[in-house]
Amino acid sequence: MTKSAAVLRLAGRRLAASLPALLGVVVFTFVLMRVLPGDPAVFFASGPSAGQKEIEDIRHQMGLDRSIPVQLAFYLRDIGTGSLGHSMTTGQPVLKDLEERLPASLELTFAALVLALGLAIPMGVLAALNPGSTTDHAVRFLCTLGVCVPTFVSGLLLIYVFYYLAGIAPDPTGRIDIFASQPPSHTGFLVIDSLIAGDFDAARSAASQLVLPAVTMALFVLAPLARMTRASMLAVLGSDFIRTARAMGLSRGRIVFVYALRNAALPVLTIAGIVFSTMLGANVLVEKVFSWPGVAAYALDALLATDYAPVQGFVLLMAVIFVFVNLLVDVLYGLADPRVNAA
Amino acid sequence: MSGLARHLGVCAAILLMASPHAQAQTRAETLRQVTGNTVNTLDPNLPGSTREAFGMSMNVYDRLVSFERKPNGKGFIFDFDHLRPELAKSYEISPDGLTITFKLRPDATWHDGTPVTADDIKWSLDRVVSAKSLGPPQMQTGSLTSSSQFTIIDPMTVQVKLDKPDRLALPNLATVYAIMVNSKVARAHATDDDPWALQWLKDHEAGSGAYTVENFKPGENTILRRSETWKGSKDGSLPFFKRVIQQTVPEAATRANLLAKGDADISIDLQSSDVLEIEKAGKLKVISTPQFNAFTMVAFNTKVKPFDNLKVRQAITAALPYEDMFKAAIFGRGAKLFGADWTTSPPTGLFPQPMPAHTDLVAAKQLLTEAGFPDGFDTSFTYSVSSAQINDPVAALIKESLGKIGVRVDVQKVPDAQFGTLITEKKLAMFTDTAISWMASTDYFFRNFFTGNQRWNYASWNNQELVDTAQAARFEPDPVKYEVLAKKLITITAAEAPEAFLWQPSQDAVVLPTIEGYTYWFHRQVDYRDMSRK
Repeated sequence: MTKSAAVLRLAGRRLAASLPALLGVVVFTFVLMRVLPGDPAVFFASGPSAGQKEIEDIRHQMGLDRSIPVQLAFYLRDIGTGSLGHSMTTGQPVLKDLEERLPASLELTFAALVLALGLAIPMGVLAALNPGSTTDHAVRFLCTLGVCVPTFVSGLLLIYVFYYLAGIAPDPTGRIDIFASQPPSHTGFLVIDSLIAGDFDAARSAASQLVLPAVTMALFVLAPLARMTRASMLAVLGSDFIRTARAMGLSRGRIVFVYALRNAALPVLTIAGIVFSTMLGANVLVEKVFSWPGVAAYALDALLATDYAPVQGFVLLMAVIFVFVNLLVDVLYGLADPRVNAA
Repeated sequence: MSGLARHLGVCAAILLMASPHAQAQTRAETLRQVTGNTVNTLDPNLPGSTREAFGMSMNVYDRLVSFERKPNGKGFIFDFDHLRPELAKSYEISPDGLTITFKLRPDATWHDGTPVTADDIKWSLDRVVSAKSLGPPQMQTGSLTSSSQFTIIDPMTVQVKLDKPDRLALPNLATVYAIMVNSKVARAHATDDDPWALQWLKDHEAGSGAYTVENFKPGENTILRRSETWKGSKDGSLPFFKRVIQQTVPEAATRANLLAKGDADISIDLQSSDVLEIEKAGKLKVISTPQFNAFTMVAFNTKVKPFDNLKVRQAITAALPYEDMFKAAIFGRGAKLFGADWTTSPPTGLFPQPMPAHTDLVAAKQLLTEAGFPDGFDTSFTYSVSSAQINDPVAALIKESLGKIGVRVDVQKVPDAQFGTLITEKKLAMFTDTAISWMASTDYFFRNFFTGNQRWNYASWNNQELVDTAQAARFEPDPVKYEVLAKKLITITAAEAPEAFLWQPSQDAVVLPTIEGYTYWFHRQVDYRDMSRK
């Protein structure tokens, strides 16, 4: 059997296996939202002149006047027909909101992850090569600092220094300069869309808007990535085949980068997958601080307003992404270590 | 070489000429507002509309009439007592107060260029009293309830008939909901389920207002472009700003930074602490207006023990540490609604106005003993999470002060949605909130906030004398007699103490020094039509 066919089969099986879990997530979120205190109909009818009748109307409009099992049945049917309901907070269909906002979150998370990996792997390798050295301690210090400082503090600090004081960063509001025109959407990634449109000003603007939030997020996830690289490298460097390689007189560079790093990559990959999924959903503070129109901030706003549909849609989206990221990590596993079978 | 240089020069010249065309507005002609919230619908009638949606609709849609404004401090405030025609050319109220006749402007057009007709006006008026939306309950406060009240007299004249001479009929037509809609466009998008095109108008506009919507992204920004054919201003002039950007910036500190850097022009929702700093630094203009159509109070649930007892309510009213709360919670930024020295009748019939409440722990203890609680009692004090910045100190001070007369207070901070539910279901004992009314009219305040069995009757108060007086005042055309009734409403409320009135918080608009014309409107949002840059 060819490799690609094996990968496809794995993907198919894994996706099918994830369906019950996704269903569980949907039902759980659905019920959880409804047992939370607070009546959304009252919240949304809180206009200056809304009385009991308006509250009832909204309850009916949101379908909340039916029993929970009936509501759930309707919701599942809607999901089946590709609808995630309407957001009361934005007034738009949830699916449309998520479609518009997911690329923003993805763009930011990718940039942050690439940045974080680009820093964390060399740092981890350097620390592992000289355990106990000054370099090792410096890396540990940086990682601790990154984890200790909450993202909204580092974000606001970066804004204060680079935007307010130094004036080098653009104003930290959204994905592109508000006065610039947006490129036509192809991928949803503004930097790429701008390049496709040949609008280099817009591309530069979008890229420069990305720097501060990406750095903020990267700092926060530096620690797990660097620490995992270090630990994994240490284990591999102490193993028999490295000793053999050394004894055979292979060059240091070849030993470290070809033999050691490739073998040490597996746990780092796993962590990177988890870090990616977490960043995507949990970086609400970064999105808030930088007015980044992402999915996490969207879900939080909805949650505060007891707006059920967006929260449910968001959780479902995150679950689906988690499934795909795990699948991708498993496929990459096979590439990093041929012994790990696609099975 | 020189040929190439000349060629490049020509290209550059073309580019230079072309660029102002592509970007028709300079930064100076663009107003950028940053806010923590968002416009979620272009039709303000939709249930769940945000306050920003209300404000936005004032700029996009015309109403038949509009409130005037008057200078106040560094800015302006709206003038509830004076109206002017907006989309109407003129209006006339019959001597008996039962008929209002609107003459339309012959030159007024919708944003699609078609003329404004009496058909459109009739359809729009029908819509605001008929569609399942926020409109009908508001319009009913001005005796506007049925489409049969609106008749087309001729293509340029529409008449509104009233059952009673309701003083709030005309002001209601100036409120947010009474938008005038291009009925041909709206009807084309109406369905059997949705005859008033509520769904379509949520994301699209069909108005005649000063601005058209260039970009509408809920949660990110709304961008307006000036309509060059607008006729609704007082003197026929167009607004100064050709383009307006209202951008959502959730982080208050970032909004303050944007203003300090001069990248944003106005924000009306900065944190009080930031406003104080900005005022001290003196580089930006802070326009601070007490929200005279609002009041912050402590409400007692008059339906449950022990607050069903008048003496208990009076005792708590006398035990609240007013001055300390005023300073600690809103840094003295607002107008006091306590500490007046009248006893039997207020000096004017205006409401809200300072009530004769003073901190007097001895009297409070005495009243509590008379009420049968010499050792005090246990109760709770609730407020919403979103108001925590203001109410954390309020709660701490109340707990301390009431503790001195033996009342043990359990402080509860609950999420906003839950807070609203608890108020509506009348499950709270004692809580604080800020009530806002679009109509700065005394009888309206009392009818909305002190009668009926709905959320806004915070104290669940039921006093027949007050109900009767408020109803009488509503239909009283004589200003002198109205004043007497208004004073009576205030006197009853002061004596019965259903709520303890605290203050009217200020709205702080922070603008660049070059920005002029900010007006505090009843909807508490920015009306871009009034504003300009020096």
